[in-house]
Amino acid sequence: MIEYKEHTLDNGLTLIVHRDKSTPLAAVNLIYRVGSKNESEHRTGFAHLFEHLMFSGSKHVPDFDVPIQMACGDNNAFTNADYTDYYMTLPTSNLETALWLESDRMQWLNINSHSLEVQRRVVIEEFNQRYLNQPYGDLWLLIRPMAYKRHPYRWSTIGMTPDHIANATLDEVSDFYDRFYSPENAILSIVADCDEQLVLDKVNKWFGDISRGKTAVTDIQQEPQQIEARRMTVTRDVPVSVVTIVYHMASRTSRKFHISDVISDLLSNGNSSRLYTRLVQQQRLCTSVNAYITGDQDPGLFVVTGHVAQGHTAEEVEVALLQQLEELKNTPVSDYELQKVKNKFETGATFGDINIMNKAMNLGFYSMLGDTDLINREVSIYKSVMQDEIMQTAREMFSSENSSTLLYLTENETK
Amino acid sequence: MKPNREIQPPLTIPSEIRVPLAEKVNSEHGIDLYQICIEDHNVLRVSLVFNAGVKFQQHPFEASSTLNMLSEGTQKYSAEELAEIQDYYGLNYEASMDRDYSVISVCTLPKFLDKALELIEQMVIYPKFDQSDLDRYAAKRKQQIQIRRQKGAFRAQELFAEALFGKNHPYGCSYEAELYDKLNSEMLVEFHRRHYIAQECFAVCSGNVKPEHTTHILELLNKIPSHRCAAEHSVMPEIVQTKLLTESRPEALQSAIRMGRMLFTRNHSDFNGMQIVSTILGGYFGSRLISNLREERGYTYGIFSTMVNLAHNGYLAISTEVAAEATEDSLTQIRYEMSRLREELVSEQELTAVKNIMIGDIMRILDGPFGIADVTIENIQNGNDNSSVIKFFEEIKNITPERVRDLARKYLTEEDFITTIVGRIP
Repeated sequence: MIEYKEHTLDNGLTLIVHRDKSTPLAAVNLIYRVGSKNESEHRTGFAHLFEHLMFSGSKHVPDFDVPIQMACGDNNAFTNADYTDYYMTLPTSNLETALWLESDRMQWLNINSHSLEVQRRVVIEEFNQRYLNQPYGDLWLLIRPMAYKRHPYRWSTIGMTPDHIANATLDEVSDFYDRFYSPENAILSIVADCDEQLVLDKVNKWFGDISRGKTAVTDIQQEPQQIEARRMTVTRDVPVSVVTIVYHMASRTSRKFHISDVISDLLSNGNSSRLYTRLVQQQRLCTSVNAYITGDQDPGLFVVTGHVAQGHTAEEVEVALLQQLEELKNTPVSDYELQKVKNKFETGATFGDINIMNKAMNLGFYSMLGDTDLINREVSIYKSVMQDEIMQTAREMFSSENSSTLLYLTENETK
Repeated sequence: MKPNREIQPPLTIPSEIRVPLAEKVNSEHGIDLYQICIEDHNVLRVSLVFNAGVKFQQHPFEASSTLNMLSEGTQKYSAEELAEIQDYYGLNYEASMDRDYSVISVCTLPKFLDKALELIEQMVIYPKFDQSDLDRYAAKRKQQIQIRRQKGAFRAQELFAEALFGKNHPYGCSYEAELYDKLNSEMLVEFHRRHYIAQECFAVCSGNVKPEHTTHILELLNKIPSHRCAAEHSVMPEIVQTKLLTESRPEALQSAIRMGRMLFTRNHSDFNGMQIVSTILGGYFGSRLISNLREERGYTYGIFSTMVNLAHNGYLAISTEVAAEATEDSLTQIRYEMSRLREELVSEQELTAVKNIMIGDIMRILDGPFGIADVTIENIQNGNDNSSVIKFFEEIKNITPERVRDLARKYLTEEDFITTIVGRIP
């Protein structure tokens, strides 16, 4: 049970504080509700590029990194389709440095052409390193536009193409900052061994005078229901073929999300899970398998995937994967198997709570979902999932009309 | 209250660091058990460390296969049953290996410690090494290593080890993936018999450790076989270095670069100092190399410098992946940054930032029962106890710009550096 206090400042900033007496460190997490889904389709990759620019310094703090380092701190950030997250750990005695830095770049970021030019190049190298110059690196660049036709999830956070990043202008950067980087669009969560009221006072001191922004709600196109199966085959210079099938699933806060998460664990969490024991160990069709959910806020994807073992074909693996999904629709899982998956959610939560940064991030994330208390209810939701709900959800989700299949073939197999 | 934004809020830099010393308990067969009790979190981690790393193997892939096959079936349980036990009780099992050691760890809720210990007992003492399981494992790993070798960074790392130690040296060798086909279960049985024994082992337990937990762990340790003739620790062969090793990939968008030099093990009096020098050069975001190659020039997404410690040697390694067309200038810039450290004194402000970030790193590593266990293991491997962390902390606090420059002059000497590149070769 994580006890926390939640408070909204006059300017709209959400604050969540949790006291952890076991550590001399403070974890400070700041979420802005902006991700790649808020981008224009002509400027994809922009939210992530902007995350890089947030380290360029601000009016009163010309160099962002040095003050954190001086404070024995460590910090980083990530961007996904739904939000951008800036996180920091430092000794609790230096907490105010974190607040000074975050508040300054919330209101007075130093946007200039030099840092834009450099970060454009850094991000293009990131694009190259992680997505292009990497076996299977472009896999998600292919799947997303196949599975999504309208919703901005159809492009990856890194962007559709490096060209969009290369063409970003200073005006667009300023406009983006004005629209999304304001207190009413942000959630600050802090975990430390510090009195909650004291933390609130300090946050008020540093963030209280920041003015509200002009956050405009982005009109996000929702994905229409898919009505026919989609598939794509590509051939690449990779050692082995990979089969990936994705299905549209429920949004993050619905009960079906948790049911789908349980299904993905039945299929592939741990070496005793269905896909591993059956496709890897018994049938030896695959060398590795996975089933997971993308975890997006809007309806995301349920993903099943397998690396094809030597001597077998992608088609065989596809059939075998589908067979496993079919079984979930028709045969109830045993009490034992369901209990096993539920146990894992419980121990996973216990192990996860050891890390204070993890706790701060989760508090911010659940608050963004609009249900902070979910952090304490989620394990019991998982524990309440029933056999017939699993079958019902599997039937709804795993239909061929709802599927997109990518056969990513090695040149050896097609030769 | 209006804040003063013009100056940084007052800082407090920790003047001391608190590290729990591990309590040592002896088992009957002489396996030392080191315990660190941290009551804040109701979890336990048990780790067994064996002298069973890659350097001991007589056949390619034998050491890692022995370790990884421990979970592929034992006398009492099949691989599926072992996996069931792990998953049902939420036991977090991890096996890792480096050139010197293998480490087996299980994290568990205290109420399931008995299950965790039974799992370790079965895997460490009674593995089956069935040939058909081994064949399946070998096929899988063969594929994995082929995929990894396509990645420039992985390949550059292999070539770097080869350039630094020589391809016949246990620290420098890598093998063709096809050699997985030559593994047989007798090799694994023999490797296991020689290395997974009491004489070659120590254990570490951390978390909310209670006396009854200790009793149960000792019962397990007492069952691990003890041989009179322990594995012979063979003499390491001579090191054969190559100045430059490259693998041309003309189509690659990026070149993976590894650059570094042989130095010394952690117990050398300059190791801690060089760890600080390495941090200034490329050990944090804002380092000389990041500032130059990433923030100034945009050549790369990341560049890092680290000190690597092995049982018999240690070395400094700089690693990065850069835009292919920037390969040559990246090498020039790395050399330039080393020359600046040799020629100019680091400013007090930069050195203070590095000191403080390193102090913060130590605090972060020590935060929580799992991190402390890792630190304890590393210290024992080096023949030290956890007070060496305090010694390191003191050295960080006291280092001067002059000592940094002297160390750079002594060790960042270009003629001793070795380079490997995978990608576009200038």
